[in-house]
Amino acid sequence: MTPPRHIDDAVDVIVIGAGASGSVAVRELARAGMSVVCLEQGEWTHRADFPGERPEWELVAQHRWHANPNVRAGPADYPINATDSDVDPLMYAGVGGSTVLYAANWVRFVPADFRVRTLDGVADDWPLTYEDLAPYYERTERDMAVSGLAGDPAYPPGAPPPLPPLPIGKIGRKGAQGLDRLGWHWWPGSNAIAARAYRGLQPCVRQGTCMTGCPHGAKASTDLTHWPDALHHGATLVTGARVREITVDRRGRATGALYVDRAGREHFQAGASVVVAANGVGTARLLLLSRSQLFPDGLANGSGLVGRRLMMHPFAAVIGHYDEPLESWMGPAGQTIQSMQFYETDTSRGFVRGAKWNILPTGGPLGVRWAEGDRPVGETWGSNFHEVVARGLGRSFQWGVMAEELPDEANRITLDATLTDSDGIPAPRVVYRTSANSQAILDYHVARVREAHEAAGAVAMTTRTMRDCGWHLLGTARMGEDPQSSVVDPWGRAHEVPNLYVIDGSIFVTSSAMNPTATIMALALRCVERIIDERRIHEDPR
Amino acid sequence: MSDPGVAEGMTASERAAFGEIADILVPQTEAMPSATGADVASRWIDVALSHRPDLRSAFGDALAALAGRGPDAVWTLAREAPEKFQALATLTAGAYYLNPEVRALVGYPGQTTRDFDDEVPSYSDLLEHVVSRGPRYRPTPR
Repeated sequence: MTPPRHIDDAVDVIVIGAGASGSVAVRELARAGMSVVCLEQGEWTHRADFPGERPEWELVAQHRWHANPNVRAGPADYPINATDSDVDPLMYAGVGGSTVLYAANWVRFVPADFRVRTLDGVADDWPLTYEDLAPYYERTERDMAVSGLAGDPAYPPGAPPPLPPLPIGKIGRKGAQGLDRLGWHWWPGSNAIAARAYRGLQPCVRQGTCMTGCPHGAKASTDLTHWPDALHHGATLVTGARVREITVDRRGRATGALYVDRAGREHFQAGASVVVAANGVGTARLLLLSRSQLFPDGLANGSGLVGRRLMMHPFAAVIGHYDEPLESWMGPAGQTIQSMQFYETDTSRGFVRGAKWNILPTGGPLGVRWAEGDRPVGETWGSNFHEVVARGLGRSFQWGVMAEELPDEANRITLDATLTDSDGIPAPRVVYRTSANSQAILDYHVARVREAHEAAGAVAMTTRTMRDCGWHLLGTARMGEDPQSSVVDPWGRAHEVPNLYVIDGSIFVTSSAMNPTATIMALALRCVERIIDERRIHEDPR
Repeated sequence: MSDPGVAEGMTASERAAFGEIADILVPQTEAMPSATGADVASRWIDVALSHRPDLRSAFGDALAALAGRGPDAVWTLAREAPEKFQALATLTAGAYYLNPEVRALVGYPGQTTRDFDDEVPSYSDLLEHVVSRGPRYRPTPR
């Protein structure tokens, strides 16, 4: 017997996902006077729940606050079959999405990131330029309390960030001295963390626990930066709403969303337009779930590209140990400094594209031990147990190396044949292999980072690569002009479904080697303003 | 070292057995107490387990697998049952560093907070070198 379905009141726009991009859409649509419902599978995360101020912080960071939903396995999380992936996708389900747990590294793409085909002969150009996106970057930086320093020669000139940079601390200074000796680029880290009280955010106090949520309300997560305003302007937020399908009418236009609430009841939310903002895994999953007679391979998937071209950033950490106290548990974490010395393509290195580097603290004793996690057990336990912590605690820091991954249609999201979430909805399966080019990028950059540590006076180094680095979920519904080779147009509108929009990292054409949240949110702002400007919603002749 | 606290969940013999294993993983040195010397088996393992209930089952399995075996068995466990060893090791180290006296001995104040002033003037000389080398981005092709 089919359970009763609850019919919710129809609205102008349904936004699916309350994370980085969905928050932008909801706030702007509500400000423009449209009726908006946001369906979010997770809940609010309260500041008092964040563990950073408690002694057990490092212990619970490995589970309850882990970024891998398969490890965290919270009630809002869906499982992901990543057995055929070199990288585990990371995310957070809840209001604010992954900005709740992100490191808040706030970096724009550079101009060349939008012209990869033209400049480097690989992948594809974006249907927009750095200059097209620059005004949206600037506005988003103000929304997100970006603390940084103007004048970085790795970027074109532009408006300064709204707040001064956070302290680089002893670890940033040590790293900068090494790069200075080598004549290499560095710049104070740019972070979406308030250096001063700003628009409701509190000033950072350098606790260094940013990646398990900021207990001080200093990190700009969109539950703090966007949602209060969105709700003030009349947006409706439904938490615990797991969307299982976007429905369509006989003409192939989106009519609404079917979702399951936490009591297991199915709802139908009707809307004149649907905006999908569920990240590069969740968005592809939902489009593939939304099969119908008109769209037998998944909604808006005539190109066959929904779920394909998944890009995550391969990552390596090089931890340097120093013979002096560096207070290397102090924040931000966050990035203290960043380097783009080898970011741009130089084909003499044997690969195209590059990597971004940034310095992070190594945390407390368990964090220091994590850095040694690839060593044989006998080298870190027993008679060597105390030496590991004595050597690294307060005297080490990490250069993180994030490499660009180029799009490959074989790297993809599909629906798993057997694995489901707690509502019985098929879970995503990830097939992902790091390319030879990306591996070459990592190898080259790790060698250079080791030189940077040596120049700074490191007495020992440890290099780690890891599966748990899939923070950046990009490319699975790429944008473009051609419906044969892209899923959405340059403003996020689906080629095949005129009232369906995708506005998250799924629409990226290439991944760059940058932390993508700045670009995700700037792009979302650009897309949603187009929706508002054209009032497409009112063109719906239903 | 400190108040042994309230024992919960584990029997006295289980605690004794765990303590022997924990001391192999975390032995005493001149500067640092062993695991049992830091009350890991008598107190802090309970606190650690309360924060990581997800590891309770694998932790119990590890202790069961090591019961009645010699001191080298823990290294065999690491090779043959890494998931069990990982649970045992994570909880043992986590419990050890929950002890504030241990934290004090290693010089870890915890994740402290600190106000700050503008630091840029203190490193602006280094930044001038970066700026003097000029732009390093490739502009959008026209």
